[in-house]
Amino acid sequence: MENFILDLLKKSGADGWAVRDEIRTGWEFYFIRHALDQNRVRETEHITLTIYRAFEEDGKKYLGSASAELAPTATETEAEKLIRSLLFEAGLIRNRAYTLNPPCGDAAPLAAAPELRTIAGDFLRAMKSVKESAEADINSYEIFTDSVCRRLVTSTGIDVTDVYPSSMAEVVVNARDDRREIELYRMYKSGSCDAAGLKANVEETLRFGRDKLRAGKTPALGKCDVVFSTDDALEIYDYYIDRMNAGMVYQGISDCEIGKAVAEDKGGDKLTVRAVKTLENSSHNGAFDDEGAPVRDMTIISGGVAENFYGRRMFAQYIGLEDSFSPGNFVVEGGGKTAAELRTGKYLEVVEFSDFQVDTASGDIAGEIRLGYLHDGDSVSVVEGGSVSGTLRELGGALRFSSEQKQYNNYLIPAVTRLCGASITGAEG
Amino acid sequence: MKAPFSPYLDAIAPGLKKLVELLREDFDYVSVLSTDSVGFTASISQRAKAVNHSTMMTERGSVVRVSRGGLYSEYAFNRFDPSHPELTAAEARRVLDEQFALLEETGSAVYDTPVLPDEPCVLREEMETGILPEETDLAALVEKLSEMSARGFAASEYAIDCRLRAQSTHVCKLFLTANRDMRQSYVFSEGVVMPLVTKNGRVEFGYEGVSGREGPEIFDRLSDKVEPVVKSAEELLSAERIEPGEYEVIVSPEVSGLIAHEAFGHGVEMDMFVKNRALSDLVTMHEGAKPEIEVASYAFDDEGTLAHDTVEIRNGILKTGVCDALAALRLGVAPTGNGKRENFEHKVYTRMTNTVFESGDSTLEEMIATVKYGYLLKGMQSGMEDPKHWGIQCIIDRGYEIRDGKLTGKVVSPIVMTGYVPELLGSISMLSRDHELFGTGGCGKGHKEWVKVSDGGPYMKAKARLG
Repeated sequence: MENFILDLLKKSGADGWAVRDEIRTGWEFYFIRHALDQNRVRETEHITLTIYRAFEEDGKKYLGSASAELAPTATETEAEKLIRSLLFEAGLIRNRAYTLNPPCGDAAPLAAAPELRTIAGDFLRAMKSVKESAEADINSYEIFTDSVCRRLVTSTGIDVTDVYPSSMAEVVVNARDDRREIELYRMYKSGSCDAAGLKANVEETLRFGRDKLRAGKTPALGKCDVVFSTDDALEIYDYYIDRMNAGMVYQGISDCEIGKAVAEDKGGDKLTVRAVKTLENSSHNGAFDDEGAPVRDMTIISGGVAENFYGRRMFAQYIGLEDSFSPGNFVVEGGGKTAAELRTGKYLEVVEFSDFQVDTASGDIAGEIRLGYLHDGDSVSVVEGGSVSGTLRELGGALRFSSEQKQYNNYLIPAVTRLCGASITGAEG
Repeated sequence: MKAPFSPYLDAIAPGLKKLVELLREDFDYVSVLSTDSVGFTASISQRAKAVNHSTMMTERGSVVRVSRGGLYSEYAFNRFDPSHPELTAAEARRVLDEQFALLEETGSAVYDTPVLPDEPCVLREEMETGILPEETDLAALVEKLSEMSARGFAASEYAIDCRLRAQSTHVCKLFLTANRDMRQSYVFSEGVVMPLVTKNGRVEFGYEGVSGREGPEIFDRLSDKVEPVVKSAEELLSAERIEPGEYEVIVSPEVSGLIAHEAFGHGVEMDMFVKNRALSDLVTMHEGAKPEIEVASYAFDDEGTLAHDTVEIRNGILKTGVCDALAALRLGVAPTGNGKRENFEHKVYTRMTNTVFESGDSTLEEMIATVKYGYLLKGMQSGMEDPKHWGIQCIIDRGYEIRDGKLTGKVVSPIVMTGYVPELLGSISMLSRDHELFGTGGCGKGHKEWVKVSDGGPYMKAKARLG
């Protein structure tokens, strides 16, 4: 970032400003089967300016802001023009007055600069080590490894830098018999490469693929318990985590109140959620959030009761929080029963949805079943088609969580989640 | 007026041409795509407001594509010095060589692909537009959106907010090879009204929008949508869950568009379709950046292929698919102008542009009159398809019950429509005369690579599984 940017901001007349400078190097590899389709390198810098203006109208105090990206090759004249424009635009935004984050003190990067060649090599070798068969194999995969350096400088004296790795692997697997060929999709996100975890997960997906070949149509089950044992469960936990966000509360989308239950008690496990500063190999480990607030460990929901809201500075202050932040990692504590104990009786374990969703506002859940295992005592049948629906407003209080946990990048959640009484639309009849 | 091409791109073009020339010394094929797209987003609600200069397509940067020994490689960057293209050429060689070394070390095989053709083409297309985003009176726009937000908030006793979002982008792209110099400039805009209502602890959103390859003047059209969308949101507050089952349905043009998009996105097995699947002969579907003027309408794609009008289905028979240039080369077919990147940092994939069912000759009233028991489905939330197995999932906002040819007033929400695409399209029995496109959303490939698309069509009557 050119020094003139800070100089221009300091003399701009703004009531506040912030500069985010993100320097990113990315290595990418795209494979069809195991043949390299394309390799790519990204070397970019993204500089984002935010200008704040305090003003008063009709006796009301406002703090408006406007932001824009400034090209890293911008000249001083271009930067000056942009800052003038943002200064004007910030004056159009009548947001109730709030204060900006003070310096957070903890400015040391959490990690050393990642070695992309090593991380990329780990991914390449991990994918080659996956055990495939004629019946189920890898169709294609894409590997993304990034080294990110982000710096935040603000008018209030914040000047902090974080360096971290961010990786992603997208894998498509096929399974086939003489009737048909099917496809399953997975996306894995992490800091660096978890080779063993990636290999195990892809091999599990290949097993799902083989099972899908012999799947029958999902019967019209009416009400049935649904078990989640993949990252689709994140949608369920995100519903509760999002509802504790200060922005959701302030805007009236969430009616959560501190000290009150986040779901009606219907005999399920009580939810406990913590924000944590670091989680092993998460791509969201950072010492500060996007606005320079220091990130720390904090309990959000404890025993099913709302304990602490979190969120961006403006919304946090609007609901009376002075030192909040936007967490990067979350831990959902396990429940009272093991995964094996939750997998009893009649239930449908869905391991592949088209796109499982929980609506943050309404709590409505929906997802087409691509692969499920219908358990009824000792019998298990593999099913596909139809859909799961319902609403967490009614079903959330009866959720059960396994005592075992499983990590998905920046979330550590119960390995198995049981949603009792969902509606199952069959694939026929 | 014409949307003027970026002076910045014109200024760096000579340097980029030199970069192509330098890399041609080492590679069989070299192209560069450079972008300089500006715009704004204004978000106004009763509780929070924001303005910034970002949209899904604002960007400035370049990407070089090179090929050697059958392997295609890319280098994306945004610190280009046009007076020293040799520095960028050297850096591209250095970082790609590092990757080649790793690939050799890990024993990675290469998917051998022929060299892309490089037919000469010189094009400078500055498309018609109204106001430019960069010249928009944002003060007036913020006031206009604030008035609409206040009106929406006041329109219902259950309203807790009414959000307005207006986005406009002036896209400029430059594509260069040894033989090609293609430059295009156009403006597209999109705006949405989203009232938020609550009753007895239940919270629901409404959603209506406008979109087009037009300037910010388009946002005036949002005004007429405010009160109707608040009413739609109110309906959701007392909506019941649908009884799962198969129903006769009439889908609105918005839902028709969602079906068009999800049914024919991302890798359909066309040979199976032609041989084994019979669709309704009422179905004719177009895909392409050329046949419609919407948010995904351009002169050429991100690989320098001119925009097409591809008729994917004619009278129920699949004719062809869409293809980016590299996939076309591998398949031995012609590219269709569907090679798109999320932005200069991202790889090209085959992507949809405007996907549209042709209209029929019925009226909506005639269609409703033929339904014994079913639903009129309106409003889309999301969609997803299973490209291999051809399953489809559409989450639809609301359904209005029809019994004995009449709307009963009962509303159900939300609705998960699932099924097998050939069965769904094979069941289409009536099409209305309407023709509407919707371009306020985005489309991902898998769960990433977001690009602008539009889709639409007429009201369609079909049979569908709802839950």
